[in-house]
Amino acid sequence: MRDPFSILVTGVGGQGNLVCGRIIAEATVSQGLRPVVGDTFGASRRGGRVMTHIRIGEHDWGPLIPRGEVDVILGFEPVETLRAAVRYASEKTTAIMSKMSIPPSNVTSGDLSYPDIDSITEELEFICGKVHVLDTEPVLEEIGSTRVLNSFMLGALSTIEDSPLDTKNLEKALSTILDSERDMAAFHQGAKAMK
Amino acid sequence: MNNNQHSRIMSGNEAIARGALEAGIGFCASYPGTPSTEIATSLFKVADEYDIHVEWSTNEKVAMEAAAAASWTGIPALCSMKSLGLNVASDFLLNLNLSGSGTGGLVIVVCDDPRGHSSSNEQDSRFYAKAAKIPMFEPSTYQEAKDVTIKAFTLSQKHQVPVLIRSTTRLSHSRGLVQIGKVSTRKKKANDLQERLYNVPTPHLRHRDLLEKMEGIAQEFESSPVEHSTNTKECELLIVTSGISSLYSQEAIQILGADRIGHTNIVTTYPLPKRRIIGLIQDVERILFVEENDPFLEDEIRSLYADLGKTPHFYGKRTGHIPSYGEMNTDIVVNAIARLMKLDHPLKKQNRSSDLLIERPLTFCAGCTHRNFYWAVRTVKKRLGGKLVVAGDIGCYSLGVFYDEAMDTMHAMGSAIGVASGLGQLERFGFDSKVIAVAGDSTFFHACLPGLINARHKNADLTFAILDNATTAMTGFQTHPGSKEQDKNMKRVQIEKLVKAIEPDFFAIGDASDIISTTDLLHSTVQKKGLKVLLFESVCRLEEAKRIPHQVGTMPVRIDKSLCKGEKCKMCARDFGCPALSWDTEDNYPVVLEHICIQCGACIAVCPHNAIVEGD
Repeated sequence: MRDPFSILVTGVGGQGNLVCGRIIAEATVSQGLRPVVGDTFGASRRGGRVMTHIRIGEHDWGPLIPRGEVDVILGFEPVETLRAAVRYASEKTTAIMSKMSIPPSNVTSGDLSYPDIDSITEELEFICGKVHVLDTEPVLEEIGSTRVLNSFMLGALSTIEDSPLDTKNLEKALSTILDSERDMAAFHQGAKAMK
Repeated sequence: MNNNQHSRIMSGNEAIARGALEAGIGFCASYPGTPSTEIATSLFKVADEYDIHVEWSTNEKVAMEAAAAASWTGIPALCSMKSLGLNVASDFLLNLNLSGSGTGGLVIVVCDDPRGHSSSNEQDSRFYAKAAKIPMFEPSTYQEAKDVTIKAFTLSQKHQVPVLIRSTTRLSHSRGLVQIGKVSTRKKKANDLQERLYNVPTPHLRHRDLLEKMEGIAQEFESSPVEHSTNTKECELLIVTSGISSLYSQEAIQILGADRIGHTNIVTTYPLPKRRIIGLIQDVERILFVEENDPFLEDEIRSLYADLGKTPHFYGKRTGHIPSYGEMNTDIVVNAIARLMKLDHPLKKQNRSSDLLIERPLTFCAGCTHRNFYWAVRTVKKRLGGKLVVAGDIGCYSLGVFYDEAMDTMHAMGSAIGVASGLGQLERFGFDSKVIAVAGDSTFFHACLPGLINARHKNADLTFAILDNATTAMTGFQTHPGSKEQDKNMKRVQIEKLVKAIEPDFFAIGDASDIISTTDLLHSTVQKKGLKVLLFESVCRLEEAKRIPHQVGTMPVRIDKSLCKGEKCKMCARDFGCPALSWDTEDNYPVVLEHICIQCGACIAVCPHNAIVEGD
């Protein structure tokens, strides 16, 4: 295991990435590791971006991931995934990105246009070692809620090799913290989507 | 391996609250402010279980006064606040330090916000420890946040001085494992007040006594150290840190893989254990200081060397090796060490950018009535040919600075009405703009009364708009004296009655949900002479959604394309800026985003062509 193993969960306020950080942390504690979880947000509820830095290791690491040192980016939103990659990723990084976009107010106002997802993916592929783009919308529609995106993304994360994360422990932490069948279904769909 | 059964994942703030519980706290008074809020919130959750009085006071000064009173009677008391809050409380603190904080123990926690993620400045509150001559701890880990809180209570009880704990955003708002101890079961009983809880007529002698106490405390810090050091002997460079910068520095040393670098983290940063520090670093030739925000430790340690013959080379903010503003991180430390040690480092040097990265500006929530108010301000300003200035204040409505620059000034809590009371008396010098001051309800109670009374007394010509959503919205919906729902044993204080008692020349209640009436009321009011106060009934949609789940508004809207002027107008999507109104770039018409719209109907009044209509 790389020590620290660094995961960056990135998205927009309200997408549940803070809960996602909690679940990952709880799962790793049960393995005897010491997670450090740093939430960076300003006025997240008011449309702002939210990043959760997760460091997993044998002792406490800094709550902010250094430049280039992120192992996995869990991207809940395309532009925010790229923003995180530009700042924190390198060739050792695996990026997992949900295709569902949340346009910022300068896009909904008609002043700017939301960048093309393929262009975002191309830039991600240039920066990161591995990129997985997940077409989350149809799966989540089938489950019946976009609110389970975080559990879906956790499922995808559970398949990453060379990580200290253990699927059973993640499932256990997920059911302790969220306790919902939909979330568990989303978790399994997320894992399936990576195959 | 870790003893994880007795460990919990806690934020720095939660760990401080836990430390207070284990130290036997009986009283907590606070005013919410990011990044400090969760300390008191954590204690609220267990207040009944452990018989603790926890309150959101009207402001930080009142909180500190209330907490000191408890400590004077022997009840251990905690008072937590954000950086700027300590400015408010500092007047009391610089008296309390002299008179003493009693036997209960008083611990003050201040959470600074480097970079100002959620603040209007990035002040370093450690200077208050030095100004007040009170001891200070700076925890650097989650565990230490809990541990030093317990130590701080013991120290305060022993010496009867308030003790300051200083955290910063990243420690307060990140989480790690903390070993849990037992909550104190010591009985809490209030004693009679001790004598002479004042400093006159001999404050200078009280000052002398405080200096003596601080000598004793410095001795304790010398003999029972809480700093930790690695590799300080025979190192080529010693990193001296405080707070969360310690973790960044440890990681930087690891990344660089350099074994000639030592590290000392100092937790008792005031008063400094001088002899210990000199003992630790006397043989070192080069020292790099890493701390948030100002060169506090750097200057204190530099000054120690004034009496010694041999001086090492010092590096840090004073020499430009560490930036003097902004938040600390590992990259900064790596770069500074690499520069000093002439090392290559594996951190990516590339400063990447991407043209695809569009900004994500903050905005008022869908249906937020503050947007309606600023829309009204914008309309009135146009009607007055631009001759309107708005003095702003601190809260969600501060986002008015981003909203068409609707706000001209924004400083401290309560500054809007104070600034306006000045502007409103400048007519004799030719100032000819109408003046509006804006404040929210919690801010009104916190700091607006003296300014409002000044404006009344001096007959300042201004309009004071109070946006009353009956909650402390920005920090997570804490109740305040004006909230509609109050706990038992608490009495609601009504803004309307308070304002009327001051006898403004004009007073009216407006409905901020209704743009047309809000605009008309504002327009007619600003043209009247004298002190006018408008109390706008407002709604926080987040608080509403929390209080009434699945609440649906009564006015769904749709776009009538036969009336909409499309690209030629765009006023709704571009200018009004509700997140629920989006521009469809393919169709070139606005579209209502059903999943975001809360069906408040406010936007109907915004369209000049009546193209936003009621209906599904």
